[in-house]
Amino acid sequence: MFAAFIESVKYVGHLIPLAFLRVFLGYYYLQQALVKFHGDFLNRPRLAAQIAEVLPTVDASYWYKSLVEKLLIQHWQGLAFFILGIEFAIAISYLLGYVVRPVAILGALLAFNMMILTGPQYEDLYRVFFAMHLAMAWVGAGRCLGFDYYFFKRRRGIWW
Amino acid sequence: MRHFLVFMFLVFAGLFGALFLKNSRDPNKDSRPILKIYASSSFIKQWGPGPWLKEKFESTCDCKVEYNDAADSVLLMQKLKSENRGGGADLVLGFDQYDLEMAQKGIEWKPIKIESLNFYEPVRATLSRTHFIPYDWGVLAFLVRQSEVKELPKSFDDLLMPEFAGQISLQDPRTSSPGLQFLLWLISVKGEEEAFQFLKKFNAQVKSYGANWSMSYGLFQKNQVKSTLSWVTSPVFHLLEEKNSDIVAVEFKEGHPIQFEYVGIPATCKNCDLAEKFVKLLLSKEGQKVIMEKNFMFPVIQGVRDGTVFESIPNYKLMDMNVIPTIAERERILKKWTQLRRAE
Repeated sequence: MFAAFIESVKYVGHLIPLAFLRVFLGYYYLQQALVKFHGDFLNRPRLAAQIAEVLPTVDASYWYKSLVEKLLIQHWQGLAFFILGIEFAIAISYLLGYVVRPVAILGALLAFNMMILTGPQYEDLYRVFFAMHLAMAWVGAGRCLGFDYYFFKRRRGIWW
Repeated sequence: MRHFLVFMFLVFAGLFGALFLKNSRDPNKDSRPILKIYASSSFIKQWGPGPWLKEKFESTCDCKVEYNDAADSVLLMQKLKSENRGGGADLVLGFDQYDLEMAQKGIEWKPIKIESLNFYEPVRATLSRTHFIPYDWGVLAFLVRQSEVKELPKSFDDLLMPEFAGQISLQDPRTSSPGLQFLLWLISVKGEEEAFQFLKKFNAQVKSYGANWSMSYGLFQKNQVKSTLSWVTSPVFHLLEEKNSDIVAVEFKEGHPIQFEYVGIPATCKNCDLAEKFVKLLLSKEGQKVIMEKNFMFPVIQGVRDGTVFESIPNYKLMDMNVIPTIAERERILKKWTQLRRAE
């Protein structure tokens, strides 16, 4: 498996710049997740308050707003745990290059929702993240300098 | 797919385990007294003055400072009222002059003793309140990018010029303090009837009434509007952080309203002495300088601005808005404003 990790440079070396971006993103998400873990993200409803503030101005369909209001804001601790879990998953996956494709799709979904729900000041940031996660999923960025190459070689399929 | 599901399960299980360990270790971690401070996000966040003040205070007090983020003053008040018996907060930061009446209803506050300090003239008038002390202040004004407008507006009526049509972002007065101040400012300049007549025309110039200052200011920063309501100190932020001197706060001949931010100690405080010491730090020259530089508001103590870029901010003509309308009066005005918006 480790041999495949290094071998990937030989066969998919053209993806190295993307692997660099993947590792950078993984590191960024790890930092963000650790700040949230050591801070009060799970103990205080900051995100829920921010979403509640922005929600009336969001141009989205009724069912979406209703879902956010009745499910996510009310169960803010579950939401915070879920987001933190996804951030750790993105961080580990991107750093190791393991299950990058499905995790990137998850990351794109998270970035898309955050883009809508966190207000205009973060909209651009999450738009860029959304595009980057999509690119990671599209290319299969775990194949270069990542463990996905090992599974890609042996199993093929759309998930590697 | 199986790999992905197992991976996600392991990550969440690991997170759950780590949280369990973290929480089980917490109770014995620190036996120092905790000073609980409720404050606004902008004060607490990394770029605000909160972290510096916390570090400075903790280095001398043998205590821990714990900030509690209060989204807005209404939520803060509800929280304080619900915790009144349990004594949640030792110190509360961030009320403005319009919140004080509401704050005094149902919540008891301790009088704060302050030494004779050299307060700015506009601040001195507010010191008659013994339970709340201002720790910073700002002057509201409309901001524009000089390069985008032919001529700087000099009065409310100039904002009706065609070049500002759909080009102003404001705050909703029902949810935002600057938004409410704008409405009261307009009424005190023009009188109520004329102010609402003016608003009928003015609302066509407004692109959006944001729920809070950050939202309306975000539109201005993204160049989606030419003007927004903010503080006269806001251009300093752009000058220092972006080296952008194009943004200016325009002076109106009618004068400008002032906003004060107050600190108060609830009577139910547990660490009242620490809270008073923290107030002293807030009003010290060091504390005031940090608040000025991080919050981009004026310090209440004279001499702090000297030698800084804040000294270059001109003295705007101020309005005497010491008469604060009662809650009922404000509700009546806001209802009228809502009806006007609905009729559009």
